[in-house]
Amino acid sequence: MRRLSITACSVLQALVDGAHYGFDVIERTGLPSGTVYPALARLERDGHVSSTWESEALAHAEGRPARRYYRVTAPGVRALRDATAHYQALLPGLRPARGPA
Amino acid sequence: MARRVDRGIVRVARWLVPGDARRDWVREWVAELDWARRNGASGVVLAMRALGAWPHACWLQWDRWRWDMLWHDVTNAARGLARRPGFALVAILSLAVGIGANTAMFSVVHAVLLRPLPFPDPHALVAIWSAATDAPGRGYESTPPDFVDWRRDTPGFVEMAAFVAGASALTGDGPAEQVPSASVTGGFFTVLGVAALHGRTLSPDDDPMSAPNHVVLGHGLWRRRFGGDPSVVGRTVTIDGQPFRVAGVMPQRFAYPLNAELWVPLRFSEEDLRTQRGAHYLEVVGRLEGDTSIDRGGQALLATAARLAALYPRTNAGRTVKVQALRESMVGDARQALLLLLGAVGFVLLIVCVNVANLCLTRALGRERELAVRTALGAGRVRLVRALLVESGLLALAGGLAGVLIALWVTGGIAALDERTGISLLDQTRVDRPVLIFTAILTAMTALLFGTLPAWQASARIDVSRGLRDASSATTAPRHRRRLGATLIVAETALAVVLLVGAGLLMRSFLALAAVDLGFTPARVQTFSLSLPEARYATPEARATFVDTLLSRIDAWPHVEAAGAVFGLPLTNFGYVISMSTLDGRRLDDQEQDERSLQVRVATPGYFRAMGIPVRRGRLFDGSDRRGAPAVVIVNETAAGRLWPGDDALGHAFTLGTRLGQGGPPVGGSVVGVVGDVRDGGPASTVRPTVYVPHGQFPTSFLTVTVKAAGEPGGLVEPLGQLLADLDSALPMFRVRTMEQLAADAVARPRLFLTLLGVFAAAAVLLAAIGINGVLAHGVNQRTREIGLRLALGADRGRVLRMVVGQALALALAGLGLGLLLAIGLSRFLRGLLFGVEPADLPTYLAVAVALASVALLASVVPAVRAASVDPIAALRSE
Repeated sequence: MRRLSITACSVLQALVDGAHYGFDVIERTGLPSGTVYPALARLERDGHVSSTWESEALAHAEGRPARRYYRVTAPGVRALRDATAHYQALLPGLRPARGPA
Repeated sequence: MARRVDRGIVRVARWLVPGDARRDWVREWVAELDWARRNGASGVVLAMRALGAWPHACWLQWDRWRWDMLWHDVTNAARGLARRPGFALVAILSLAVGIGANTAMFSVVHAVLLRPLPFPDPHALVAIWSAATDAPGRGYESTPPDFVDWRRDTPGFVEMAAFVAGASALTGDGPAEQVPSASVTGGFFTVLGVAALHGRTLSPDDDPMSAPNHVVLGHGLWRRRFGGDPSVVGRTVTIDGQPFRVAGVMPQRFAYPLNAELWVPLRFSEEDLRTQRGAHYLEVVGRLEGDTSIDRGGQALLATAARLAALYPRTNAGRTVKVQALRESMVGDARQALLLLLGAVGFVLLIVCVNVANLCLTRALGRERELAVRTALGAGRVRLVRALLVESGLLALAGGLAGVLIALWVTGGIAALDERTGISLLDQTRVDRPVLIFTAILTAMTALLFGTLPAWQASARIDVSRGLRDASSATTAPRHRRRLGATLIVAETALAVVLLVGAGLLMRSFLALAAVDLGFTPARVQTFSLSLPEARYATPEARATFVDTLLSRIDAWPHVEAAGAVFGLPLTNFGYVISMSTLDGRRLDDQEQDERSLQVRVATPGYFRAMGIPVRRGRLFDGSDRRGAPAVVIVNETAAGRLWPGDDALGHAFTLGTRLGQGGPPVGGSVVGVVGDVRDGGPASTVRPTVYVPHGQFPTSFLTVTVKAAGEPGGLVEPLGQLLADLDSALPMFRVRTMEQLAADAVARPRLFLTLLGVFAAAAVLLAAIGINGVLAHGVNQRTREIGLRLALGADRGRVLRMVVGQALALALAGLGLGLLLAIGLSRFLRGLLFGVEPADLPTYLAVAVALASVALLASVVPAVRAASVDPIAALRSE
């Protein structure tokens, strides 16, 4: 498996940090939507991320359509650790990866 | 309003998403945008966010992309085409014609206008001409003293050189041979920047009159006559009867000017430089210094010319220079015509695209069932479009390959026309790498052009349920598709009309050219040229005697009606205009001299009879007009009318400022005859005032013999060669041509342009007819049931017939109207190519209208008859 890109790391880290919807990830990472969505799609294809739909009832209660809910998988967490360690060696200022809260 | 923008962006991108992922994709984007809006995001932010849907959709599509799927599409498309060979064949053939014609035309344009000249740094090369101050755009040949002054006094040039193209007789080392040659000044090879392959080129050291004679050989001549032996350098060869030492051999492909294979020094004596300021016979080329533009070089030359005009007012007043890029001067006015033809052939390809698009559209209608099945099996729209585009790509590829074959075949023929049409560099036409790259790009664009629209149309609004039931049972095609087909037909008809008008105008202009009376009768006249070497024919008497003997021997042949010879054969670009110095014994002042310049021809008595030039007044030359007898001249009607308006020309006398290199008296004498006008420069040229002097009095060493045969002139060539060999075996006959050939060559260029545009127009009309026919036939097919119903309800067959024909006429008339408007706008670009006809020539437009309407009627006959013969019972039973 190829190492995650910095973009993928940022997206994964945002999910780890508690962002679960596409637009939340965009806001947390500051990356444009045209970067975040292909990254999410790719992470999901590679099994680092899985997605479900938030509960219809909850969304209905707020009078809006249900959103797609992303979470990091166990292989995703491992890949994030490996990649962060690698980038940290290259860029000593980088913050170490944390596990899911 | 702004709130809707983000939704719109997502809705359009939706089509790019693979079908199986589309529902979730739409749901997610709609939900996120909705959530963001609730949280107070502005319309601009939402729109920016929504733009991310495009990369997202593209990524998903790309992720599904597999090369093996493309291969699958390719094999599938190939199988599909093989199942319908008729469709594939028509499409590929039309594409081959369109792409082939464009490739051929582009290879001509590439050779003549684009490919760099075969010299180093060709942009620095210029041609330099003399020109009149009141017509600075028309350059003509320069004179030796002017050239020497230009070269000495003008800054900004690396080197300048003068040359005279001609032909030289090569004798010894085998049979006598006439070789295209050039006399060049020492700077010639420096200007062109080409070094010798063996030995050396000529240099300024060869310029002095006292320098030994050296010659440079062309590669072809060297291989042919000297076996490619490098040791030929230093050997002595005989050229025009004089010994020349071989200085060097040029590399392959060096053949400038024209097809020269031999270069000898061009030298000017002190006397030449003193007396030849009015002798315009030099072509001049120059190489600019590195940072000098053509404009700057031109300015410098203008300054020099102005100085010369002040120094030598008698010859140089009112004279200036014209500087142009060497290629421009070589190509001249052929440029406009070639670009025009390239545009025209582009039209043909557009028509082909329209036609093939229409074919594909029609075919896609018949494939609704297949497409519906594929959609039902889960193929997304992108997938279907791709499959259809792959099919277009295959068709275009096959058409492109066949087109290159057509181009290879055609360009060979076009390249061979260089001499007859006088288009420089045309012989360089070939299908090489740049041309193939052009063709590849053209083919790809063609595939997109004719493939995209039908593919999109076909994949839109596929009615799966109806399609699965039975697509072929549909009573009518969807209205929007029929409308698209009709629009395409109108467009291609309009393009065909434009080409047809262009071809019609060229045709009228060609007929006008052909109808012009040249002033002589070209039929059955055989000609060949002779050059009597000065070494063996040193005296005028020797030359006159030889020509007399030759002509009297020919005249005695039973199948010869008349034999003569001339210096300055019509239709050979032979200008020799000299100003008059005395008139009726009075010396003319400078202005009078300039106003009375005459074109000089030297002729034997038999020349006028052989060429059928009629005598209007007085007599022709006869045997008594020789050296020692009173000097006589004959003038043409234009000269007589201009010099002595309202007066009889006979008995007047004048002299001109030339001795024709004879060392005797100046050319001139008393007028003993007036002959008819001859159009020397071809049918489109104006008649120049001309004087003929007898060869007996001015025996030039260069001559063209003209023999009028009683029968077929071709049979004369061999006995003429035999006779010449008997009289002087070292004298080659060259430029062996009939006057009919020359007359044909004089209109070879308009003929070539007419032929090309005619072929393009014919192809366009044929394609338009095929298109109209196809749309009608398909319409009739689709409406068989409707027509059957109408017939069953009592409509008569004539009415059905009229309905189909009317549909064809409606399409044709719409195209015709649009095309005529376009043609009126575009035909003015043809003006430079027209002779005796205006771009807005009403008869041409009317003829085109009638022709096109007839073609449309013809194209509708078969579908109309088919519609009228529908059997109502059979048509209804199949319901």
